[in-house]
Amino acid sequence: MQTLLARCLSDDVHGRSILGDLHEALGSRYRERDPRAPIWYAWQAIRLVVLYGPRSLFSKFAAEGNPMTGLAQDAIYAFRSIRRDVRFFVFAALIIGLGVGANTAVFSVMSPLMLRPLPFESSDRLVWVAGSAEGGMSDMTSRTSNLRDYRERNRSFEALTGYNAFFDYGSYNLTGEGQPERLVGVDVAHDFLDVLGVRPLLGRTFLAEEGAWGASVVAILTHGFWTRRFAADPSIVGRSITLNNQPVEVIGVLPASFDFASTFTPASRVDFLRPFPISDETDRWGNTLSIVGRLRPGATVENAQADLDAIIQQLQQEQPDRWGLRAVVSGLQDHIVGRFRPAMSALAAAAAAVLLIACVNLSNLLLARAPKRQKEMAVRSALGAGRHRLVRQLLVESVMLALLGAVMGVFIALAVTRAVSGAGSIGIPMLHAVSINGTALLFTLGISSLAGILIGVLPSLQISDDRSGSVIREATRRTSESKRHTRLREILVVAEVALACVLLVSGGLLLRSFVSLLDVDLGFEPGRAMAWRVDTRRDFENHAARVAFYDQLTETVASVPGVEAVGLTDTTPLGRNRGWGVGAVGVVYERGERPGFFPRMVDWRYLETMGIPLLSGRYLNAYDTGDSAPVVVMNATAAERLFPGESAIGRSVEIWPRTWEVVGVVGDVRHAALEEASGLEIYMPITQQDDWGTQELIVRSSVPPETIIDGVRAALSAVDPSMPTGDYRTLDSIVNRAVSPRRFILVLLGGFAGTALLLAALGIYGVLSYTVTQRIPEIGIRMALGESSVQVLARVLGRTMALAGLGILLGALGSVIASRLIGSMLFGIGTTDPVTFSMVMAILLLAAALAGFLPARRAARTDPAIALQST
Amino acid sequence: MVLLAVLRLDNRAIALDVLAELDGRAGRRVTRGTLYKTLDRLEAKGLIDWQVEDGGPERGGHPRRLFAVTPAGVRMLKTSRAALFRMWEGLESKLGRSAT
Repeated sequence: MQTLLARCLSDDVHGRSILGDLHEALGSRYRERDPRAPIWYAWQAIRLVVLYGPRSLFSKFAAEGNPMTGLAQDAIYAFRSIRRDVRFFVFAALIIGLGVGANTAVFSVMSPLMLRPLPFESSDRLVWVAGSAEGGMSDMTSRTSNLRDYRERNRSFEALTGYNAFFDYGSYNLTGEGQPERLVGVDVAHDFLDVLGVRPLLGRTFLAEEGAWGASVVAILTHGFWTRRFAADPSIVGRSITLNNQPVEVIGVLPASFDFASTFTPASRVDFLRPFPISDETDRWGNTLSIVGRLRPGATVENAQADLDAIIQQLQQEQPDRWGLRAVVSGLQDHIVGRFRPAMSALAAAAAAVLLIACVNLSNLLLARAPKRQKEMAVRSALGAGRHRLVRQLLVESVMLALLGAVMGVFIALAVTRAVSGAGSIGIPMLHAVSINGTALLFTLGISSLAGILIGVLPSLQISDDRSGSVIREATRRTSESKRHTRLREILVVAEVALACVLLVSGGLLLRSFVSLLDVDLGFEPGRAMAWRVDTRRDFENHAARVAFYDQLTETVASVPGVEAVGLTDTTPLGRNRGWGVGAVGVVYERGERPGFFPRMVDWRYLETMGIPLLSGRYLNAYDTGDSAPVVVMNATAAERLFPGESAIGRSVEIWPRTWEVVGVVGDVRHAALEEASGLEIYMPITQQDDWGTQELIVRSSVPPETIIDGVRAALSAVDPSMPTGDYRTLDSIVNRAVSPRRFILVLLGGFAGTALLLAALGIYGVLSYTVTQRIPEIGIRMALGESSVQVLARVLGRTMALAGLGILLGALGSVIASRLIGSMLFGIGTTDPVTFSMVMAILLLAAALAGFLPARRAARTDPAIALQST
Repeated sequence: MVLLAVLRLDNRAIALDVLAELDGRAGRRVTRGTLYKTLDRLEAKGLIDWQVEDGGPERGGHPRRLFAVTPAGVRMLKTSRAALFRMWEGLESKLGRSAT
């Protein structure tokens, strides 16, 4: 700080005595043992730098022959211009700030998702190996034997690893460390972190022997869980925690920069990683693994695909009965972010449009101020300034204005990015990494400089154009604005309206899509219902004991005041998914052609509790037990698929290794996504299953769900005091989470569209207002010659609507093109939805009419006598 | 007030002492930058000048400026005082008996 101050002060007695005074005062404070002495010194020095710095800096630039001389002078001049009219420039900076802030926010959201590489070592060499490119999770995952064989036989990969995609079916109860808590753990291959290149913050990664079947379980905690539950205590490494009544050693903690959930399973929570054995035992579980690979240097995705295709062919020849041999290779970043590209691109385009509108708006405002500056420009020109110099000076002014706006824009972007990065419930990956960093600030600087040039280019060319001496003589007389200026400003207004139209139509289409989506028949009743994750660690003697426990659980919860119905399932709609092959008995299917069903294990109360309608046959009932004949209920689509044109009731289906009788057909449920049709569903009595896993208790209430929480928790604890009871959510929130990415895009785009509308209206108002002011003498003459107030009003408003109409027409044409770009994001409506287009046109016309009304009214109230005096 | 403060300091005033004098006697807290600017303006008007004195280690070796009011400055102060007294004359009754 002292060095900086010394450079700002003159290098003579004057400057050095000031330094000495400060030094002496600091010495006094140290002698008095003032603890704030250094801070005091820094503050005093900063103030002196601000006072003396600019003059010193500019005097250096003013040295003869220095190429920055002119720019420095322009900057000083621009600063003085801004100081003369602070209110206008602050207003203008605010408008620019909105546009720059929007772009910086979108850039910061897009950056970790699409612009920056994934936060892994050499992430461009990381690939995703799916079982297939589409389908449910069971189709996209692979068997562990596939991973084992790919590892042994490949030539394109440096390493292959994976994680259990169905980790959420497992459940871990943490006990013995305060309140019992249900944790979410991900099973990963022992080398998962090594392949990604993630180094633990504390401790170590898994060893190969820890990934063996039957090895002692160890865990690596996620950073968020470690901070929340253990207050970031480093001594946790090496300690054991109790999970599901078993001691588990904590061997490491992940760094904050690696958020497994945010990267691979957004809008979910992961508390720890544990090793997943790649073994014969886990191979019997079927398709469970999501495979990630690191390519050898120089290998491409195509090489890897060809390599795996060859391996698969070999394996099929060696083992003709082997199933599940499929592989589709894609870049890991493509896999994670690919489906969000259209939405992010739409957001970026919308933000750019808002900035463009802001630039056009301000350009118009500066043009409106042009006549005020003409005298000044004429004087400067008379004193020898060439046109190039005048243009440069005005451009420097507009760039400084834009940079001032950029400062405001950064604060707007900071607020937006803070909100976004903390929103864990939006199903968009990498949101945890959204922040305003150095790159974002550089981007801000770049676009605001560009915006400044855009704002200033037209006004500077116009203002600097008339430098004749006659302007000086006529400067004191009020003159009507030239037709050329008016025409130019009206063109800019038309452009603003057109851009606003495009944004509004895009926003409107997405809004109507969203509303259509929320209107779809889910197939179940989400209102006034909650889902409680229940997982007991009790050891049951036998199947009957387990059934009795869950019966007691549901009956106890059903007795809570306000509870209408209770049911049990192993997975809720719009949650986890998996696929089993199911075939009609008596039908021969080609290998791999058995229809993929989505199975749910439910108790007999579930279907009615969820409000899923019965179409034929019966619901499951209390008599469908482990001792009775195996039965299933399927949805209407499945019934039609397996038994086309016939009743499915009484028919049998084969779900390996047994056959099941179809006793009921129920309505379709949208289980994968609101946008997707239901597919094939089958409901199997949980009492006829051996493997129960985590259960979801569906509780329907006659009162708002929040009011029964305490009662239900108490009822659960009464049945099993050691069972965590805090993992619950409403079915409405499950639906909301499913549409959260769409809502996120809509909110941002809606904000941009609203801003664009406001700016366009302001632009119209500004142009009309100024035009009317300039034309007061002309209006006075017209009124003196007989034109009525109503005719004046109609003429001005007519001009407004003509401008707006032209802008809307151009905007509509642009919207037809733009809406095709967001076509993949629409649901239930077409890209040229007439309702949306009509509503947008009406809104814009109304906004234009409102914006033009005040100036029109002012014109209509012109007093001809006063107006004529001003000529 | 700056000129008066310099005079009170026997015409051998350094900036730090002027700040202290203004704060202690006149109750006016002035920023360092404002004072330096004021001293520069008074110097430009010929109302003060200064002498250099070598600074010791307590000043990091930087010189010290000792300010003094010039004869022109003294004349200006006398004129200003006389004008002030003329304006004050007869206003005691309106402002009450308290002199401070």
